[in-house]
Amino acid sequence: MNKPVLSVRQLSVTHRLSGRVVNVLDQVSFDLHQGEILALVGQSGSGKTKTAESILGLLPPDRWDISAQAIELNGSDLAALPESGLRKIRGRSISMIFQEPLTALDPVFTVGNQLCSVFTRHRGQRRREAQTSAQAALGRVGFPDPGHVMRRYPHQLSGGMRQRVMIAMAMACRPSILIADEPTTALDVTTQAQVLDQLVQLGQKDGVSLLLITHDLGIVAQYCDRALVMLDGKIVEQASVEELFANPRHVYTKALLNSAAGAKPK
Amino acid sequence: MTPHGQMLLEVRDLVVSYPARGSAGKPLAAVRSVSLNIENGSIFGLVGESGSGKSSLAHAIIQLTPYRSGQVLFRGQDLASLKKPQLGAARRQMQFVFQDSLAALSPRRSIEQTLLEPLNHFRVGAPASRAKKAAAALETVELDADMLHRYPQELSGGQRQRVALARALVTEPELIIADEPLSSLDAPVQARIVDLMLKLRAELGIAFLFVSHDLSTVRRLADKVGVMYLGKIVESGKTESLFQQPAHPYTKSLLAAVPVADPAHPAPSVLTGEPPSPLTPPAGCVFHMRCPEKMERCPSIEPIEVAVGKQYGAPENERELKTAGHRVRCHLWDDTK
Ligand SMILES: Nc1ncnc2c1ncn2[C@@H]1O[C@H](COP(=O)(O)OP(=O)(O)O)[C@@H](O)[C@H]1O
Ligand SMILES: Nc1ncnc2c1ncn2[C@@H]1O[C@H](COP(=O)(O)OP(=O)(O)O)[C@@H](O)[C@H]1O
Ligand code: SF4
Ligand SMILES: [Mg+2]
Ligand SMILES: [Mg+2]
Repeated sequence: MNKPVLSVRQLSVTHRLSGRVVNVLDQVSFDLHQGEILALVGQSGSGKTKTAESILGLLPPDRWDISAQAIELNGSDLAALPESGLRKIRGRSISMIFQEPLTALDPVFTVGNQLCSVFTRHRGQRRREAQTSAQAALGRVGFPDPGHVMRRYPHQLSGGMRQRVMIAMAMACRPSILIADEPTTALDVTTQAQVLDQLVQLGQKDGVSLLLITHDLGIVAQYCDRALVMLDGKIVEQASVEELFANPRHVYTKALLNSAAGAKPK
Repeated sequence: MTPHGQMLLEVRDLVVSYPARGSAGKPLAAVRSVSLNIENGSIFGLVGESGSGKSSLAHAIIQLTPYRSGQVLFRGQDLASLKKPQLGAARRQMQFVFQDSLAALSPRRSIEQTLLEPLNHFRVGAPASRAKKAAAALETVELDADMLHRYPQELSGGQRQRVALARALVTEPELIIADEPLSSLDAPVQARIVDLMLKLRAELGIAFLFVSHDLSTVRRLADKVGVMYLGKIVESGKTESLFQQPAHPYTKSLLAAVPVADPAHPAPSVLTGEPPSPLTPPAGCVFHMRCPEKMERCPSIEPIEVAVGKQYGAPENERELKTAGHRVRCHLWDDTK
């Protein structure tokens, strides 16, 4: 197996609100290896999104306590860095895409405008150069006519098109890690297949490691290399996908697999 | 209730078109001549990608959206021709459950008030008996009686969707039209609500028009399925006939795109492109721009609806049973080949 690009050790997260303390993540440890697609599965409320958000430093410190033995990104310990340097590294090396891209896109700017500003801000390109890069980026996520998409506003695109724009934006920063949080839950099956196919191809071409958060075991079986199973803020099982489906060990994993077997179109 | 009894709901050649926006705009044809039948106590699953016209059709059936032409017959009565009191009576028999229960339930009404509202509106039973009916409906959807005094925003998504179902069934309707009622819920919660709907059908004989883009749920739930694409039903039939022998290339593409929870299963196949805009529907077959089996006449000649059965090699009698009512709109199946 390739070396880990991200190592998380004993990550615990608690939430404070008016004197009440809730443990949301409990000693989460895992490695994400170079070029792999790692699934994070579990039902809603199990802590999948909070795992991603705490790694990315997105949880406001006034209400969230985060502790970890180590969060290593490409060998350097993020926990040891000051907040400013941390944000820079995270922004550059890890990109994230969300379930509903409409909330992540600005409604008053065109797609081209928003995508170009990623290239000018994160890659130091000039306006003209950024235009060319943006067109190429949209071409790479399967838009046959990038110029047309550049002129649209987010609400003028379908859900699947918006999600592919988000992938183009995320990849524009040339991240080594992409975290996708239920990226296709809101989409139709046909669009889901298009978007996941794009993600897998980009990962393979650019060697990006993908942490794919999902509650769909079909997606785990068909698109991922390894899987982490999360229950109540803990990782209760991790295994290669073949191993997980052939030999589930934890009772919760077994229950998950059983319910998926009942639901699949035979 | 007889198996071949009177049709509960008959939709004939329904056309829904939204008026043009702005002076240069064109009207948008969301539903283009759709017909379907729902028998007493049966479940009809309507599937299709978003934008295919499922909600427009469902809203037109309950007379929430006007339709340009066509008919909606409930127990043989044309709803458009009914006067107020009769329409009210028909409405009581035909309830609706929306996708987003948080938006559909008023935050200022307790669950009890929410359930009493349709009973008061339709004057069901004596006023004093209504609270009992409300409590019974809550019990039917397997929620505790102490929920009566809570508010929608205090409940989980699954609990809210149960309340929405309870509100729909409290007037003891014959038909519930549910527009993507599960899509905001977790898989285990979805599975429990599917079981609940099957129970309501079995115990109370309630029929459903179940709108969904989730094929596996529709397969579990529905007796008959219609597949919608760009405002048309391109294939329909008994659930098992349609899932085991999908005839339309679009239905096949939909089924092939579902990732199966088994690593040994072949990978999902990708249907490229997006559905065309309903503002500029293509000539010929609605699916020809994406169809992997497109033939020369597909872009120009629109296929008519034909029976699927006769193409199978099975003996006449078996074939009739299995594929009875299985219909498709595709040149691969008509005689012009
Ligand atoms: N804003 C919040 N305030 C308080 N608790 C929260 C908040 N967001 C999430 N939680 C808690 O964190 C747990 C994990 O949430 P999350 O990571 O979003 O789950 P998942 O992504 O697996 O659905 C939830 O069960 C919830 O109790
Ligand atoms: N109120 C409306 N005004 C104009 N166009 C609409 C309206 N509602 C839906 N549409 C359009 O009609 C088409 C079908 O939409 P809809 O019935 O919501 O499909 P579905 O429920 O299958 O997603 C879409 O192109 C949609 O944009
Ligand atoms: S009519 Fe032609 S284009 Fe349409 S689905 Fe059939 S084969 Fe494909
Ligand atoms: Mg989440
Ligand atoms: Mg809809």
